[in-house]
Amino acid sequence: MSLLGFFQWCEQSGIGDTIRRSSWLFPVIEAIHLLGLGVIGGAVLTVDLRLLGLGLRRQPAAQLARDAQPWLVGSLLLMLITGSLLFLSEAIKCYYHEAFWFKMASLFLALVFTFTIQRKVIMAGETRVRPVWSKVVALVSILLWSGVGIGGRWIGFS
Amino acid sequence: MQIRLLAFLCCLVLAICYQATARTAAPTWGNAGRQTHVFSTVLLQTPAPQGIGGSLLAFFSRLGDSSWSVGLHESRYAYDLIESVHVWTLCLFFGLAVMFDLRLLGWTMRSVPVSEVARRLLPWTVVGFVVMVISGTLLFTAIPLRSYQNIFFRTKMIMLLLAGLNVWIFHSGVYRRVTTWDVASVPPRAARVAGALSLVLWVCIVLSGRMIAYNWFDCDRQPQRPIINFMTSCVPNQSEEH
Repeated sequence: MSLLGFFQWCEQSGIGDTIRRSSWLFPVIEAIHLLGLGVIGGAVLTVDLRLLGLGLRRQPAAQLARDAQPWLVGSLLLMLITGSLLFLSEAIKCYYHEAFWFKMASLFLALVFTFTIQRKVIMAGETRVRPVWSKVVALVSILLWSGVGIGGRWIGFS
Repeated sequence: MQIRLLAFLCCLVLAICYQATARTAAPTWGNAGRQTHVFSTVLLQTPAPQGIGGSLLAFFSRLGDSSWSVGLHESRYAYDLIESVHVWTLCLFFGLAVMFDLRLLGWTMRSVPVSEVARRLLPWTVVGFVVMVISGTLLFTAIPLRSYQNIFFRTKMIMLLLAGLNVWIFHSGVYRRVTTWDVASVPPRAARVAGALSLVLWVCIVLSGRMIAYNWFDCDRQPQRPIINFMTSCVPNQSEEH
């Protein structure tokens, strides 16, 4: 099955069809999706502002990352579930929309970066990583997650 | 430092809007660029609009005819850009406000003193809130009358006032005695209530904010129940009702 074929299959699925035919399902799922985005933003920024030296200062970044982890992972799961539902209802539109591919690329990079490079830098602790690298890592993290959020918003603009 | 950042962000938002509107303002002066809203014409013939908040209808109708409003409404990118800023800043404001509320509930950062979280993270929520208000005001200016008569917009504004009241009660009440419970992993009941209330209110504000764009109770979608028209100060056109 080609990629477009897969997207067509998604579009024709029962779930996609149900969401499309309801006047309120899409808006409600989208609003929950937006809430998830906000919580991800909070969890990511708490850690990134710490790395930049602009947020909490007295606690080790590793400890803040552990504290924020359940909220990051929880809201990420919420985003993936609601996002998949939204996608099923308009898969063909997504296939032809640059913003969708931009968002997926940003999401992939953000996930890989957060759970590999950023995690390693944070867990290594302040003494073993030069401060400038912590800041670079935080900025890249903010940029990648911003790409996900803004890309998502632009899927809605035609 | 925060003040300079705040000023910079405000200037950025305004500059983007100015740029975006300047290019398209000229060709949209004609009638084609006007907001075509059925009730702005009805309004002129109706001396006393019904429903809640009807007295402001004429003002927002005029605002909708202003060059700023038309420019924002008609520009190819201004509205989308401002809305993107609004969504991005939602992550900053709502995200960090949620983290603080979760700390008040004792659900995260339990070993970090509450006053520390407040001192280091709440200034960011202030910055975020200012950008939210500026970008939100611009979004409202682009579609003033329709937004004003939107039931979700009205709900959002009322809940914003309640959220502000909650902030004020928290900071002038239990937070004044923060030194006595600063390091408690689970703060006292009054603080937890404030955190929970804040969480619920902001979640509802985000939800109703998103729903503004999907207004099932729009004035132009008649017939609506009389109670809906009353709450949105709609004056349904006689000919449209049949």
